[in-house]
Amino acid sequence: MDQHIRKVYIPMTETAFYILLCLRKPNHGYGIVQTVEKMTGGEIKLAPGTMYGSLSKMEKDKVIKFLYEEEKRKIYQITELGNEVLQLELRRIERLYKNSREVI
Amino acid sequence: MKTKKEFKYFTIVEHEKEQEYLRRRGKEGWKFTKVSGLGMYHFEESKPEDVVYQLDYNQEGLSHKDEYIRMFEDCGWEYIQDYAGYSYFRKPAAEMNGNEEIFCDDESRLQMMQRVFKGRMIPLFVMFSLVIIPQLLLSIFSTHNYALTAVYGAITVLYVTIFVAFAVKYKKYKDKVK
Repeated sequence: MDQHIRKVYIPMTETAFYILLCLRKPNHGYGIVQTVEKMTGGEIKLAPGTMYGSLSKMEKDKVIKFLYEEEKRKIYQITELGNEVLQLELRRIERLYKNSREVI
Repeated sequence: MKTKKEFKYFTIVEHEKEQEYLRRRGKEGWKFTKVSGLGMYHFEESKPEDVVYQLDYNQEGLSHKDEYIRMFEDCGWEYIQDYAGYSYFRKPAAEMNGNEEIFCDDESRLQMMQRVFKGRMIPLFVMFSLVIIPQLLLSIFSTHNYALTAVYGAITVLYVTIFVAFAVKYKKYKDKVK
């Protein structure tokens, strides 16, 4: 993993995190929006401008890849690099959580 | 149906002001239909409604327009038009849970500013350095046409104002991300 990817994605934005998490299965942008809304009990509602910008940027960074188009919606999936990044970020968040539990 | 037109000038950095202006007119019973020319805003009379307007600047989106607009429509945003590289969207406040915007984090707001910088500010800066400044200097030192000096001087002030305003705005977005 090169320094650029590490710098941009560790830590990553909440939006990027949910995109990677959801794209372990093929899905499109709006599908991710719906999944995240359900997952967080309506607390996080990802917005289309943010989604569109993030998906194209993440595709360029090769952490996700475009599979095919369906009814004018682009279907994406996580790449191997994306998975590595997600695992690193998960470890970071778990450590944060564990440390905060020990203190509070 | 009654319609009206209003001329209004917003600089590159004032898209938030523009959004608020369109929302205000909607509340007053004037529904925005289109913007054309150098800033002619068209409205038609309708029942007053609180509708949120949002502008995005995304050239990649414009070149993949079908998918781009589909994403917004899926999320309940109506696409109105493109104007000077900006895409105009709206959504009635009644269909929202609280405040909703087309961006949900500061990183993506900053990224939009970066796209505006590349798409609008750099061309403006090139124009400024290669045309306006040489013409200004020429009129002062060579042709001694002081009427032209006044014109190019005024344009220079306008350009510099826009550059400074953009820098200030950019810093504001940047600080939020840090």
